[in-house]
Amino acid sequence: MTTGVRTPARAPAVRPAPAAGARRRVPLAVLVGGGVLAVVVTVLVCVTVGPAHLGVGEVARSIAHHLGLDVAPVPRLHDAIVWELRLPRVLTAAAVGAGLALSGAVMQSLTRNPLADPYLLGLSSGASLGAVAVLLLGVTLLLPVAAFAGALLALTATLTLARTGGTLTPSRAVLAGLAVSQLCAAGTSFVVFWTAKGDSYQEILSWILGSVAGATWQSVAIAGVALVAVGTVLLTSAVRLDAFAFGDTAAAALGIDVDRTRWTLMTLVALLTGAMVAVSGAIGFVGLVLPHAVSALTGPLHRRLLPVVALAGAVFLTWADTLARTLFAPRELPVGIVTALVGVPVFVVLLRRRGGSAWT
Amino acid sequence: MDVTIAAVGARLGGRWVVDGVDATPPADVLTGLLGPNGAGKTTLLRLVAGLLPPGAGAVLVDGAPVHELPRRERARRVALLEQESSSSVPLTVREVVALGRTPYRSLWGTDPDEAAVDRALAAASALALAERAWASLSGGERQRVHIARALAQEPELLLLDEPTNHLDVAAQLALLGFVRSLGTTTVAALHDLNLAAAYCEHVLVLSAGRLVAAGHPGDVLRPALVRDVWGVDCDVLEHPRTGRPVIAFHDVAAPADVRA
Repeated sequence: MTTGVRTPARAPAVRPAPAAGARRRVPLAVLVGGGVLAVVVTVLVCVTVGPAHLGVGEVARSIAHHLGLDVAPVPRLHDAIVWELRLPRVLTAAAVGAGLALSGAVMQSLTRNPLADPYLLGLSSGASLGAVAVLLLGVTLLLPVAAFAGALLALTATLTLARTGGTLTPSRAVLAGLAVSQLCAAGTSFVVFWTAKGDSYQEILSWILGSVAGATWQSVAIAGVALVAVGTVLLTSAVRLDAFAFGDTAAAALGIDVDRTRWTLMTLVALLTGAMVAVSGAIGFVGLVLPHAVSALTGPLHRRLLPVVALAGAVFLTWADTLARTLFAPRELPVGIVTALVGVPVFVVLLRRRGGSAWT
Repeated sequence: MDVTIAAVGARLGGRWVVDGVDATPPADVLTGLLGPNGAGKTTLLRLVAGLLPPGAGAVLVDGAPVHELPRRERARRVALLEQESSSSVPLTVREVVALGRTPYRSLWGTDPDEAAVDRALAAASALALAERAWASLSGGERQRVHIARALAQEPELLLLDEPTNHLDVAAQLALLGFVRSLGTTTVAALHDLNLAAAYCEHVLVLSAGRLVAAGHPGDVLRPALVRDVWGVDCDVLEHPRTGRPVIAFHDVAAPADVRA
């Protein structure tokens, strides 16, 4: 005999007016539409910014021309500035910003830790060690390859350590990541202290702080492919992430394979972050601050949060990098300094506004 | 739904926390799962929910071992509300109830039955709370919303772990009356024997992991059993209005009287 729950067949047509403590959520389509528009405008405008003065129209025409559209050509010098110099950098910044913000949002949920960022599992320290090995020890690998390999080694060490003698709990993952980070950081410091001289210090420092100054179309390809491939899987995992809201047992009762979901998503976040670190170094604060700022707008459900946080991350990092290269032009700052300068005040405002309600 | 608990056992930390339990909670009514702290109520509920693989025996739902059902299918048929379920995620009531639709959603999160959340809210008389922040609810309202979340799973079997904990007396009575009125096969772990006696059609009594009694509360909840299982002397009276058993506790039984 099978008996379902007896409930009224039709839902009431009129929803009651919001009572005290009610929250209204902006429709997702509005947020995503606005976000896409913001990304397009940001890319077009940021490409115009720089020592050579270009208009948005010229930028759009240059891009359209390279995409094979039938438009009036742009002068060759301007076209080269747009297509060879500024566009790869702007697009890399956008992709890296989206990837880091997405990784941060997922990592904060997986570890149930509002302070989590994409580098929590030792990824940035591992990548730094790989990069330093190339820059200083003369290991003959491409820098992005070495950084990615370092990140993956660190991740493997963290997850192995976290899983020994038990299941993968959030706190074990965080503690194992801390141990691996410290070890890699010590290795990096040792190599820098022992071998670095002259200009290489600045090169190392700029890499460790994070920068997209050296971005090429190859960087766009690495960051873009990782973002689209991993980002798609993360977006389709949003429902499963939401099921964790009331803890592991509640998630299991809703049909989620708790251990496998956590392990798979941590690995995916690490791959995405590893690809981003490989092209840009360890840019801080994007993955930490953006999820908090955006969830104030979208609410905490990942189905709404993840697409919007990716778009916001793209806009944020693109503007931060534009500031980094223009603020003290012709000198450039590593963009990691700018993200921290902008990120910290935002974080403080959020901390004050949200009070104890969400971060207890 | 037909539920058969067949010689089921579970070992945790080298000890049989549930040990050879045979029981058949009757279909479409509220069954109380009783027993002192540590008797194995929560573990038995997790076994029945299919969340814990049994160390011995099996739990069959409509003839199939529940822990071997595919996860999503199981979550569409069996809903479990754990004790003390809380969240620091700032969700609205509607969003909490919509979590119950998880086993029905597509990869992109769309729900084939958009009205299911409103139906579950209405069934739990929680429609007026729908747009409220979860954090702003009282204890009784939270339990009602939790049950609405479970109802959104459209389960054939509802498992509740101490649903009346921390509720005031009115909220306790309202909650169990509401659960009983659902007409869904329900097993609820309860601490309060008088609530169980008043609302349950059937009770299962666990002691140290074993089933020691099962049946109608009037037949099961006798002074000798209460003394054996809980170590408390009592008299069982008849409720002047409902005729149901009322347990009047007297004192903790002298240790020699307790057979344990």
